[in-house]
Amino acid sequence: MLPFSAPAVYQASKCFVTYGVMGHLDPKQPPSKSKPWTTLASQDFIHRADLIIPQQAYEAVQDVLIKDKPAPQFKRVFMSLADILADNFLEEYIKKRNIMMLSEGRRGIDNVFALRQGTLTMFLDKEAYERAGLVGKPHGVKGKRGLKPRWVVEFDLTASSMFPGKKGFDRLVYASKNALSTPLTWLFCSISDDTPMPDPLDRHHPTTLSTTPNVSQGINALTPTLTPSVDSIGSGGEAREEFESFCTELYEWLSLVRLGSPRIQPGDQIDPYLCRYHVPGEENQQSQQLLCKINWQGFLAPSWARQTLIDIITALPSKTWFSFSTTTFSKGMAGDNAECTFLRPQDSSPVEYILWEVKGHE
Amino acid sequence: MDSKRKEQSIAAVLLTRAHEPDEANRIFTEKVQQRPLFLAPSSPPRSDARAARRRAQQKKTQARKKALKPKPLSAAQRRKLGLYDIPREGQKYALFVPLHNLWLGYIRELLGPEIYTGGEGAAAKLCSADFHGGEVEVVRSGCVSRVGIKGIVVKDSRFAFEIITPKNHLKLVPKEGTVFRLQVPAQPAVTTTTTTKPDGITENQETDRAVAKESDTHDPPPSMAFEIHGEQFRFRSADRASKKFRAHFSKKL
Repeated sequence: MLPFSAPAVYQASKCFVTYGVMGHLDPKQPPSKSKPWTTLASQDFIHRADLIIPQQAYEAVQDVLIKDKPAPQFKRVFMSLADILADNFLEEYIKKRNIMMLSEGRRGIDNVFALRQGTLTMFLDKEAYERAGLVGKPHGVKGKRGLKPRWVVEFDLTASSMFPGKKGFDRLVYASKNALSTPLTWLFCSISDDTPMPDPLDRHHPTTLSTTPNVSQGINALTPTLTPSVDSIGSGGEAREEFESFCTELYEWLSLVRLGSPRIQPGDQIDPYLCRYHVPGEENQQSQQLLCKINWQGFLAPSWARQTLIDIITALPSKTWFSFSTTTFSKGMAGDNAECTFLRPQDSSPVEYILWEVKGHE
Repeated sequence: MDSKRKEQSIAAVLLTRAHEPDEANRIFTEKVQQRPLFLAPSSPPRSDARAARRRAQQKKTQARKKALKPKPLSAAQRRKLGLYDIPREGQKYALFVPLHNLWLGYIRELLGPEIYTGGEGAAAKLCSADFHGGEVEVVRSGCVSRVGIKGIVVKDSRFAFEIITPKNHLKLVPKEGTVFRLQVPAQPAVTTTTTTKPDGITENQETDRAVAKESDTHDPPPSMAFEIHGEQFRFRSADRASKKFRAHFSKKL
């Protein structure tokens, strides 16, 4: 693929569908280079993850995913940017360990700060940028910038030049004391396992929250056929269009299951004036199944999502279908977010998958 | 009769339409047929030696008058003479600190009790004040590398401030798109003076001992801080004295 630069005009969210074959999963060496894994890693902060499996497969995953797996923890803390750049926090957490942090606010409207893989990204409005005195790049669609442009400033805090006493770092500290000094609510998640002994975060009294999975069992759903007919995709034309419509409808059905919508229940009578949704496929292709949905909601890391997907694949019997989706935090003013849905189809080889990737504008 | 009509030129025909036949005829003969044809129409009248001498003399007296009139230096001449440059030995922050203290006293005197209250009156007085010797800090700027420059103003020209920083660097900061912040403590700082007694023992006297004790226990002494929007301030300090400032809504802010 050619590397394309950021879009100059506003572009609506796009959904990319991939139908592919996974390589062999070696639990000791988690894969990271091929398609479903790179997509999972490209998401920055995961807000919500869902797993949909047939009810009979629940016992198989129950132990692995719910009982034995430690619930990922994250903290909510009220601090300012200057506290993050303070000596002990910077050294213990940012330089030595891998953490991710996200501040409150919406990107097109407030000043938002995000810390991920050692890079601090600040989305600032014009006044904050001019008062901060840090060099950044214009942010936002070109046509919308006008008189009040917004700016994004990036700093790599793990670099060797980011120590107190160095010019670049001192400018950042000056900005954090003068222009960006308001304390905000942050979400903090530590990806490394160990915590420093005198925890620099304790001074700010964080609230620890853990994402325990939410299980809803026995969802009675009208299930369409979950196997794509892929014999003649390569020849293009009609088969391709058929595959496209199949994927779109299947994605819609999966989203309705995630939402817990009553439209997918058998015998659902709703006035067609209010909703005209029908489960895809002919009557004879639909089947009534009991489904189980496991939901995690919180501040999750993409590495956790990758590990969870590996656990699911290794735990489930190879003929069972499942669907795993992750949704990120919303980015722009409209509140749309990026999403990734992974489906292993029924009655196919256990290494086949369909991957839907929804990419927002930002 | 017909042949005569055919020979009549178009000018004559048009003239007969506008005037009486006698008039038309007269105009035609005088202005068209007997029109003087200048051979060299735009050459000036030939001057004789007398006129030429007179003109040279006039030019000389005017040039002399102009040279005698005192005129300000042009920008190129100023730069070449280097009259307004601060020499290398003079670029020391410590040299300007006494000037800064003088300026603080001047501003306190100018504002009087309004230093505690601020407001419109204080703002009007500050607009006409002179800022040479004031300690400014660049707080906001369209050019982000200027933010954080702090020092004493050594030159307040029409479009820029020349500032000397504590590290003895002389910086020229344009006023356009920049906001400067100045701070004036309301009370003069506690000063320690050493007096040497006749037998050579030095003794420290503290003025305002009560103020010093108060400031130990309370917050730092109150000071008035104000910001100057350089966009609206692009006048020489001499011109600003009599200028009335009106609030303008800036598109850039």
